[in-house]
Amino acid sequence: MTPTSPAPARPPVPHRRTTTLLALVLPLALLVGAAVLVLGWRDELPDRIATHWGSDGPDGYSSFAGAFVPLAVGAVLCVGQWAFVMWRGHDGLTRRGVTATSAGLGALFAVVEVGTIESQRGLADGSLAPAEGGTVTLALAAAVVLGALAFLLSPADPPRPALEPVAADARRLPLAPTQRAAWTRTVGSPAALVPAVAAVVTTVTLAVVLEQWVLLTVPVALAALLAAMLLWRVTVDSRGLEATSVLGWPRVRVPLDEVQRADVVDVRPVREFGGWGYRIGKDGRAALALRAGTAIQVHRTGSRVLVVTVDDAATGAALLNSLADRRHP
Amino acid sequence: MLWTVAPARDEPLFAQIATQVRTAVAAGELRTGDRLPPARVLAGSLEVNLHTVLRAYQDLRDEGLVDLRRGRGAVIAEHADYAALDAPVAALVAAARSAGVTPDATAALVRAAFARPTQEDR
Repeated sequence: MTPTSPAPARPPVPHRRTTTLLALVLPLALLVGAAVLVLGWRDELPDRIATHWGSDGPDGYSSFAGAFVPLAVGAVLCVGQWAFVMWRGHDGLTRRGVTATSAGLGALFAVVEVGTIESQRGLADGSLAPAEGGTVTLALAAAVVLGALAFLLSPADPPRPALEPVAADARRLPLAPTQRAAWTRTVGSPAALVPAVAAVVTTVTLAVVLEQWVLLTVPVALAALLAAMLLWRVTVDSRGLEATSVLGWPRVRVPLDEVQRADVVDVRPVREFGGWGYRIGKDGRAALALRAGTAIQVHRTGSRVLVVTVDDAATGAALLNSLADRRHP
Repeated sequence: MLWTVAPARDEPLFAQIATQVRTAVAAGELRTGDRLPPARVLAGSLEVNLHTVLRAYQDLRDEGLVDLRRGRGAVIAEHADYAALDAPVAALVAAARSAGVTPDATAALVRAAFARPTQEDR
């Protein structure tokens, strides 16, 4: 069993072969495939190849060799994501999410490359290249489909009950043996409100100014997404810890029997997790970082850590430890 | 906030839940405008029937401590100053303990005192 101290030596990440197939081999195969296709078109392509489009057609060009730079960038990103999962992907949701991102990025870069270069076969010069014509939409669709597929194929965490009692030095809350106890409260994300409102206003303005009414679907989708992230209810009870958006979804859970210990930590969302919302830290900790300040940090079996920012975290963490005491053998 | 119920105790579960809201208000932990957890959430967490929590919330509404509104849930209302009783109640409990008077007897004495006619009634 893994030790329960705050900085344990981590066991290897599970499902390394599946992760390598989905997060490394799959996207690299797509990128190499795209490179081979483009190489095969070498003699048909103009000397300068359009690589960027403005409103009046192509406005950025590169040499034949330079046209491979995006593929190389894509490959570096995918290798980076794969390496992160192999190193810090102990948490199933993290592992599946980053694997999906890597697969999706591979598809995105490969389709954009093939789509934009294919349209320039047989042209005298890149400036004659036709408008982008659906390549980006196709690439995004391919990325979403492949990402979703990789997410589903990547294994979730099986139940993994803790075998050792909660650490003796973790805070507790005195409970009578037959007493049932629960702690629940809501936490808002005031920091997210400003960019949320700004994003919605900007996209609505754009839609109105450009008279592109289809664009109105963007602020509507944004507003729904942001509303789901703005207010959460955090609950600790005999089932464990659960954080649920007040809309009912999404939901983050740690079952009580997988709790090794819970502590209070101070969180700076931007510095530690690069922003607000459900985030993965560089150290592999998953966090629901809704605001700066106190948070419950739960060490879970399998070297997984979840951080949830919430007021009165001390009571929540202590109750979680005391309830886990009852559950553990 | 922290909620506890002890099914082994004589006090009904709904009364235990209502009492915790009163003590939290008296302690200043809950203030006017604060929202209580949805009855469904609290019932699930405490493993009690939904109607047990609803009964507690309804009792609190009847004494004017909570507003119950469709869609808004249970919200602490503009209410009497429960905090004013915090110190006297603590003193009473301390006095009862040192005199060896049981909680039930103390509560009965308090109830009897309320039943006595006030100065204005006379």
